[in-house]
Amino acid sequence: MSENSSEKKRIYLQPWPVRIWHWINATGIIVLIVTGAQIRFPESVAVLSSYKSAIDVHNVTGLIVSISFSFWFFYYKMVKNTLDKLYIPDEEDLKHGLVRQLLYYCFWYFLGRPSPYHASPDHKFNPMQKYAYLAVMFVLMPLVGLTGILLLNVTPLRILVLMWGGIKFIVALHFLLACSLLAFLCTHVYLATLGNYIKPMLIGWEDVEEHEEKHVEAPAAIPGYRPVRHYPEYAEMQHEQRQG
Amino acid sequence: MRYRETAFFLTLSIAAWVCLSVLAQPGASAFSYGEEAGKNESCLACHGDSAQVPKGFFIDTKHFNQTTHARIGCEACHAAVPATHPDGAKVARAGCGECHADVDREYATGLHVKKTTCNGCHNPHMVHSPKEISGQEINAMCSNCHNTLEMTARHGEWLPQSELHLRMLPCITCHTGSKEYFISMYIVKSKNGSMFGKQEVAGYDELKQMSGGKEIVSLIDKNRDNYVSLEELRVFNRSQNSLRLHGMMTPVSVSHKFEILDDRRNCTFCHTSGPALMQTSFIAVPEADGSYSRVPVEKGAVLDALYGTPDFYMMGSTKNGALNKIGLAIICGGLIMPVGHGFVRFLTRKNRNTKEHKS
Repeated sequence: MSENSSEKKRIYLQPWPVRIWHWINATGIIVLIVTGAQIRFPESVAVLSSYKSAIDVHNVTGLIVSISFSFWFFYYKMVKNTLDKLYIPDEEDLKHGLVRQLLYYCFWYFLGRPSPYHASPDHKFNPMQKYAYLAVMFVLMPLVGLTGILLLNVTPLRILVLMWGGIKFIVALHFLLACSLLAFLCTHVYLATLGNYIKPMLIGWEDVEEHEEKHVEAPAAIPGYRPVRHYPEYAEMQHEQRQG
Repeated sequence: MRYRETAFFLTLSIAAWVCLSVLAQPGASAFSYGEEAGKNESCLACHGDSAQVPKGFFIDTKHFNQTTHARIGCEACHAAVPATHPDGAKVARAGCGECHADVDREYATGLHVKKTTCNGCHNPHMVHSPKEISGQEINAMCSNCHNTLEMTARHGEWLPQSELHLRMLPCITCHTGSKEYFISMYIVKSKNGSMFGKQEVAGYDELKQMSGGKEIVSLIDKNRDNYVSLEELRVFNRSQNSLRLHGMMTPVSVSHKFEILDDRRNCTFCHTSGPALMQTSFIAVPEADGSYSRVPVEKGAVLDALYGTPDFYMMGSTKNGALNKIGLAIICGGLIMPVGHGFVRFLTRKNRNTKEHKS
């Protein structure tokens, strides 16, 4: 590890399957939101020329996003085998990481302090991202997809529709989940402008300053210190206290 | 002169013999028209008994007695029944158009006129008003000629979810030019009593049995005020495993000009008409005579996401106001971060500029 703090290293953060999936998903979800709005509010939303075309586009896009979601799941779970590691928060994230990240976004960011978290290919998400993505990727997306598939095949899947509480309940759930996804989308796009998230999602690579890496590993060697991963500032502070 | 007298007495005696022979027949009073009371009984004495008349001439007394046609009497249409009846000769019958001239004229301009006449769809001895019939029965009438599978395929060429549409709508909703609609709910029963079995319209006898011999409506209308409230619907939906309510969008007035209406091919004819049409609904309760009586349901019941009938939903049109507000609140929640954080971010931009400058 280099001691030169100004040296920059390129890390390959987002592999190409993930990037393709991400942008298919992004485009698909926007199309779904727009067509979904026309289906629910046809008298005030008229993006597509007819109601039927809104339904057709919504159905086809919904299927594309569902298939692309399945590919994403398969890729991370089976090919890369990093799904659990990337998306499921560990004890450390739960105890310290989440609060720290929240404090950073709510206070420290405004004071100009650096982020307590830096992405690496094995730890791409900060604790807050992990929780958000856990909810979005493991609850919202599968549920919105499944309710959509049920609504697309009401007659052949009648028994499943009844098991889910009837068509009206499924429609209500599908609508509220879609609203939640839209709410997430607003926050997601905004937060992407806070850090350096957009570039790696386009080209795959991110430039990171090498010196930050050292703080990640340093605190573990300090006796009595409870290591906090991905939080160099806190580690540095602890280190200075012991030195002083 | 003597010849004339002989002819006169001969004619008189033949007439008397004819009258006497008619009067001597069982039930012969049926042919002495003019009395109001009991005028149908003598016809039904034979025609109401399937053992006495061929199948095509049998009249189901139970059904017939409930119809408007029973009230006007057999002879209103069959005036020229000869005294020799039954002699195998055809009995004259009035054309429907003699009373229903308006309907006849309208029907003549529609698509069906070349294919069938009134009794192709309506048995004049079993006619019910649209109020006394369930949507499924209306479709059963249509499917006598129109093959359901073929119709589903043909509608599917332009109609999304054609099977669902054809199952959940009476054909006349789209093929007659009614301006107003209401939601007709009817009780369906799952086969084998399982919640997930194939559903079919529940018959009078089984519902009567399920209600413990009480009026069928008491299965839903618990306080028997002939009005179904949302609360009563909620209790019914939760307590019944095998019974459910199916809703159909039904025209208020049924015209007889069956036609292919281009505006009905435009989805927004139904799907944007808005909740106003979805406010009025009835439950069609089967009666002993095979007809249905309508029990009014609390306004807006089909719009209610939790308490109303769980299987009636029209995209776009059945928007639930409460759900829209919850959805809007969720989206606004998502905007807190970009708007709130973005605002403070803008105010404190100097902090970050200084820091960046230092490093």
